[in-house]
Amino acid sequence: MAKRDDQSTSNGPAATGAVLRAPAEILFAREIAAIIAADKYEKPPGWQMSPRAVLTYIAGGTVGDTKITPKYIGHQRLVEIAISTLVTDRALLLIGEPGTAKSWLSEHLAAAINGDSSKVVQGTAGTTEEHVRYTWNYAMLIARGPSPEALIPSPIMRAMESGSLARFEEVTRCASEVQDAMISILSEKTISIPELKTEVPARRGFSVIATANTRDKGVNDMSAALKRRFNIVVLPTPKTIEGEIDIVSRRVRDLATNLELKAKVPTAEAVEKVVTIFRELRMGQTLDGKSKLKTPSGVLSTAEAISVLANSMALAGNFGSGEVSAADLASAIQGSVVKDEEKDRIVWQEYLTNVLKKRGAEWRPLFAACSEQNDAPAPKAEEKPAKS
Amino acid sequence: MTQPWKVNVFGVRHLSPAGAWHLRRYLDALKPELVLIEGLSDATELIPDVTRRGTKPPIALLAYTDSLPVRTLIYPLARYSPEFQAMSWAKEHDAEVDFIDLPSDVFLALQDVEEELAKQQREVAAALPPPEKADPVAEAEEPPPPRVSVYQQWAQRGGETDHETYWERHFEHNLSDDAYRLAAYEFGNSLRELEEDQPRWRAENLVREAYMRRKIAAAIAAGTKPEKIVAVVGAFHAPVLTGEFPAMTDEELGSLRRRKSKFTLMPYSYFKLSSQSGYGAGNHAPAYYELLWDAMRTDQLEQLPSQYLSMVARNLREAGTHRSTAEVIEGVRLANTLAAMKDGLAPALVDLRDAAVTLIGHGELSTVKEAIARVEVGTAIGELPAGVSRTSIQADFERELARLKLEKYKTTVKAELSLDLRENRQAKSTESAFLDLNRSSFLNRLRVLGVSFVAPLRTSQDSATWAEKWALQWSPESEIQLVEAVLLGETVELATGFKFKSTLENCKSIADAAVVVRDACQCGMMAAMEAARKRLQELSTETSELTAIAHAAHTLGMIVRYGDVRKFDPEPLMPLVEELFVEGALALHSAATCDNEQAMKVIVAIDEMNGLALEHSDRVDEPMWIDRLRRLSDADDRNPILSGYACAILLERGLIANEDLAREVSRRLSPGVPADLGAGWFEGLSKRNRYALLARQILWAQLADYIASLDEDHFRRSVVFLRRAFGGFTAREKRQIAENLAEHWGVSADVAAEAIETKLSEEEEKKISDLNDFDFEGL
Repeated sequence: MAKRDDQSTSNGPAATGAVLRAPAEILFAREIAAIIAADKYEKPPGWQMSPRAVLTYIAGGTVGDTKITPKYIGHQRLVEIAISTLVTDRALLLIGEPGTAKSWLSEHLAAAINGDSSKVVQGTAGTTEEHVRYTWNYAMLIARGPSPEALIPSPIMRAMESGSLARFEEVTRCASEVQDAMISILSEKTISIPELKTEVPARRGFSVIATANTRDKGVNDMSAALKRRFNIVVLPTPKTIEGEIDIVSRRVRDLATNLELKAKVPTAEAVEKVVTIFRELRMGQTLDGKSKLKTPSGVLSTAEAISVLANSMALAGNFGSGEVSAADLASAIQGSVVKDEEKDRIVWQEYLTNVLKKRGAEWRPLFAACSEQNDAPAPKAEEKPAKS
Repeated sequence: MTQPWKVNVFGVRHLSPAGAWHLRRYLDALKPELVLIEGLSDATELIPDVTRRGTKPPIALLAYTDSLPVRTLIYPLARYSPEFQAMSWAKEHDAEVDFIDLPSDVFLALQDVEEELAKQQREVAAALPPPEKADPVAEAEEPPPPRVSVYQQWAQRGGETDHETYWERHFEHNLSDDAYRLAAYEFGNSLRELEEDQPRWRAENLVREAYMRRKIAAAIAAGTKPEKIVAVVGAFHAPVLTGEFPAMTDEELGSLRRRKSKFTLMPYSYFKLSSQSGYGAGNHAPAYYELLWDAMRTDQLEQLPSQYLSMVARNLREAGTHRSTAEVIEGVRLANTLAAMKDGLAPALVDLRDAAVTLIGHGELSTVKEAIARVEVGTAIGELPAGVSRTSIQADFERELARLKLEKYKTTVKAELSLDLRENRQAKSTESAFLDLNRSSFLNRLRVLGVSFVAPLRTSQDSATWAEKWALQWSPESEIQLVEAVLLGETVELATGFKFKSTLENCKSIADAAVVVRDACQCGMMAAMEAARKRLQELSTETSELTAIAHAAHTLGMIVRYGDVRKFDPEPLMPLVEELFVEGALALHSAATCDNEQAMKVIVAIDEMNGLALEHSDRVDEPMWIDRLRRLSDADDRNPILSGYACAILLERGLIANEDLAREVSRRLSPGVPADLGAGWFEGLSKRNRYALLARQILWAQLADYIASLDEDHFRRSVVFLRRAFGGFTAREKRQIAENLAEHWGVSADVAAEAIETKLSEEEEKKISDLNDFDFEGL
């Protein structure tokens, strides 16, 4: 995913040596320190810097003589809404397609506001209520009975105790009873521990930043009751094609080195073409805005464009000439565009004939390769079940 | 030399509630005897109508030329307009009111001058050699960044993305004494210093200001003390309305160009107000600004956020989506925090809107878009007392009637008018050569506007697009409909254009859009047709329904075909026809899975598509169409009638060889295939060009063999379907079939014909009708 895209922009002197990936507050420690030193606005309770300073940290700028790298570009107003939400002690829910930097933004918000982005609950199908509330050191529980020492608080409970931010990744992956556990935490702002006949109230400054994936919709859809307890901010896909091309080519280069793909990195032209096709089909219109298009059933995310290019590299490297050809691209694109057989195939065919075909000579090889791919499995054969 | 005069000047932004609020307080404090307002000075006589009982804003002051080309000026007034409040105040306090801006005849002539200048510029630009493209270095250079307007720069300096928000945050929420007037004065001053406007605008402003000074000086000379005068003008003009600057001389005034003009008041609507853009003329959220004005007047400004958000929530609930009060409360808190981040006194509209999206829309703008539009734009329409309005569209209507020699039809007696749209080659001028075509455009425009003066009649020659027939009858309702149409635009043409625009926005299906394309073509309005074409293209992505696509493509094809009669270039429509054709061809296969009733509609669609393919074979993707037909013709899992029909088209185009046909017939009619499928296929096949079928002996041989091969039960069953298949054949055709069969059976044609043509006996009739009720489930 593009979530961890910007690791390379680390500017801190952090001793990241053996650690594969250091948290944001360590990577950007110098920037955070500079911002705090220069901050002259009022800080909400529990915050280490003012809302405006958080905005500077995320959107970039210059503080004194320290240059602050922009962490999230293009949608400053959404960041303002997110920060304001946390000021009003409401919980924040970031929704978006894969690769829209939800977790990235959530981590940086927590790093800037608390200097600690590590109180994370990762939502999965296996997440239980204990992960959200608390669990026990069972050896101690059996030996001595319930005691505060035997209690193991969840990251959320720790955040409540310290009055800071907890992060909940991929809420919609969790079963609904786990989501329900969040409701009482967010509305009562306490966790009761009946075994100890006590409860842990949240200190001021506590809040939750949750993220959810639009593609999980319908898997474990959030209940209206839970939704109501969040301010919801929808993070859009990269605004400009340049931005998206940049993300895609950077990630493809990384992948190529990591996975030791034997093919050459696709040309800038190939990347541009793939991103163009993906953007047009995703947005349902051509880039020049002149014609509208049907959209296929799959979500053509940035992440998928990356995997298309990586796939075609793998194809070219293992079975082809080592250089990504139009045919390699075509088979990879076909795979991600045409999901639900008949309908997607028609959408794709329409796009090919009505848009790509008219794009001129540069697009000709790709058009030809794609058409060939799309026609390849003759539908005739499958549709002719022997009668009688 | 005497001291230069100095009057009290109140600079405002037009349509600014805080401006209106502060202005009223200012007037209350000063109690002037004379209020001077930036408005067309010759329209002063309309002021009593503006403040009359029975007048309900929004209204607009409309000035227009009574000759071609029509130039118009609109000054909209809402309840919260400072100018409107100034007039009301003057009426309540018996003060005199006067408009002091340039008179309408000069203003309208200025538009002519602008048009001429723009034309000159275009000509100069066209005369210059095109920029050289040989230099690759120059090409690689970045284009210069787009010029940012001074208003925009101002907003960015204040940390806002647009001027509206900047203005609202800094001017509309501040209720401190005199804050507005002083701030607006400074604002105007700094705008003048930047002098970023185009020279043309600057010149116009200088002329207007000189004239305003002249009017003020005249008022003082007439005996009103300067301190008893308040001038209400745009903030930009406020700093220069003193005696220190020269007033316009008689000579200068005499040298200004003039166009004869008329003016009137007309009802206006908030929707119209919100769709106009630009300083002074529009206001993107009129209903919201009215809320703001009401809140200010009742001293409840801090209630505004809760009011706005509850209204959005309420609108959403009425539409069936529930939102809790808690979410509204949280929305207000979020809006307040957002405003605080910008150092605002209160949430501005953007903050409220973002809060509504985040809380009430759960992050999705689309959920609350409509509710927000209701709260921000509203549906208010102004009213005027009867007889006040004499609008430009009425004048335009009369003028068009005269130009097209239609005046004699403006009677209450119904009259018919036949038009021949073709060029009249005997006529001397182009105007008269195309008189009927122009008439048709005009009448069609009235038809689109819903003016009941015109009604189209069907012509006997439906296919001849050059002939049209109309029934014309004037009535008082027509007059009212015409006046109402001025809300859409100032002339018949402009109103029709706007009507097309709003119809297109509400278009749900491509069939609707195709109708607009046709209407726009009939109205002779190419820009609207282009817009309709775009909308149709957009909508085409939302449907995969073959019948709709084929029909739209067919409609467009017709327009293209008859384009030359209406004197327009159909070329821009062709790419869309091509696209629709591809979509239709791709949709064919899935559309062919349907029942027999739907199949009849699909057949119409196939005909339309096939017609296009034949007519525009050079443009549309004909090979693809044939390929798809072939697929359908070969398919066993689609409606057999349609498969048969596809086969018939291929046959007709000579794309199926005799032996292929024979194979296909025997496959379709082989003993294992259920009789209804085989007969259905045959029915489809026989729906088209029967001569081609009748001429193919081989087909009939196959059919005869098929019937012979059936056992009793299957035969009974197939009789029902075959009977239906041949039901549509004429006697002559039946006879030919008989001949074919006779040849096959080796008997004489007469014997066979006799066997076929003999009337059925009653007993036989009954048997067959029993068969119709026969339950085939068991077979």
